[in-house]
Amino acid sequence: MSNAHSHGDGSEHPAAPMVEEITDFEVLEIAVRELAIEHGLFTADDHRRFTEWAESIGPAAGSRLVAKAWTDPAFKARVLEDAVAACKEIGIDWAEPTGFGTPSDYMNLRVLEDTPTLHHVIVCTLCSCYPRPLLGMSPEWYRTTNYRRRLVRWPRQVLAEFGLILPPEVEVRVEDSNQKCRFMVLPMRPAGTENWTEEQLAEIVTRDCMIGVALPRPGRTADIHPVQKARRPVKRTSHPPETAHERKK
Amino acid sequence: MARSRSPKNPQRPAGKARFKVGDRVRVKDLPNLFYSRTQMYVRGVVGTIAACTYQDVIPEDEAFNRDGQLEQYYIVRFRQKDLWPEYPFDNDTVQTESPERWLEPA
Amino acid sequence: MNAKSDAATERIALLEALRNDQKTWNVLAPRYGVTNPNPPWKTSLIAMCDCLAASGALPVLERRQAEDELSNSIYSNVPAPERQLLALVHIMLKRGLVTESELVSRISAVRARLESA
Repeated sequence: MSNAHSHGDGSEHPAAPMVEEITDFEVLEIAVRELAIEHGLFTADDHRRFTEWAESIGPAAGSRLVAKAWTDPAFKARVLEDAVAACKEIGIDWAEPTGFGTPSDYMNLRVLEDTPTLHHVIVCTLCSCYPRPLLGMSPEWYRTTNYRRRLVRWPRQVLAEFGLILPPEVEVRVEDSNQKCRFMVLPMRPAGTENWTEEQLAEIVTRDCMIGVALPRPGRTADIHPVQKARRPVKRTSHPPETAHERKK
Repeated sequence: MARSRSPKNPQRPAGKARFKVGDRVRVKDLPNLFYSRTQMYVRGVVGTIAACTYQDVIPEDEAFNRDGQLEQYYIVRFRQKDLWPEYPFDNDTVQTESPERWLEPA
Repeated sequence: MNAKSDAATERIALLEALRNDQKTWNVLAPRYGVTNPNPPWKTSLIAMCDCLAASGALPVLERRQAEDELSNSIYSNVPAPERQLLALVHIMLKRGLVTESELVSRISAVRARLESA
């Protein structure tokens, strides 16, 4: 296969590189999907709609929502009152792609507002429920049993592993999305962002800030995690280490 | 497409919510029938109603696709210290969601 | 029966034959200079999970519980997207949503089709 393609207007540029082989995994995904469709478990059109939807979502929508809430108090009030309705103002419809949401994104969203004395962090201890229409697909670590079990039990230890250490007087509130509400954190607008535009603000509202494992600050525009192997979940009877510095090198 | 929400399965609304925000409730320790979404770590623990959220079928029913009776859901707030006595920070809390049948007045 | 899933953690010959740690995306992508963190079939896999849940064929919680068990046992050494795919197929086979024999022949047919293109 050529490494460049023509645009018909005479211009050529190198195509993005591709994996130039057909793996068994790719074949397996297609094979099982075709059989599921033939058995009537779902239709090809259902699958097309869900794929299109999955490709359309990402954390940028959540970032826009937070930036707008920071700059528009009336919008923030609407977000806190009825988040699903407020999402429509930024072009996110929780009813997509079926007309009543997806099987794991019910139309019940609550946005959790942080204050100087209250910090929220979200988890799903049962599986990996996540506000996908606003944040896209959950990161892999959010799905691990390590995060799911330990966040409820030792939230400050887990947050410290993400580099977030909060003073004891701040209430850490873990929100478990174990039923049909989905949650997103509305962090506090950091100092040093006065007179910023919504676009500038949105850049520092990364996915991790809306999960609650990081705080937005000027200059922090990406979530970067040191690679870490999941440890065994802490047993109920054991005691927490005094401080958590496993991850801070 | 989602069966539990299909118009072919009419749903009966729940009555008036039994609890209101601020009420103290205990999570019942019911046997796990099939797929329960009520986690073990809150069973038997007393918390406070933080929000009355929505009405929906309960997941144990949904797993069987037996549609019908809707139930009120709540967000319940627990003090970490009430869940794990040795927890070191007084102010910290956990919130979970629960359908009404899993809660009793405390 | 209780919350424990019925996807027994016994190995499935077909899937054991397919797993190849030299062909997972985390190995292939750098070999070809590809920066996309996920293989192209990942979105399709997610959509398949959503479709199975929406139709009631495989509810989310049941799939995720079985996936957790398999991810912590048989497929613990497989990287994320491939592990998710193997676990889903494993669960579907165990539940009889598809059979191993029809899957074997379909895999051959799909490969032949893709390679003839």
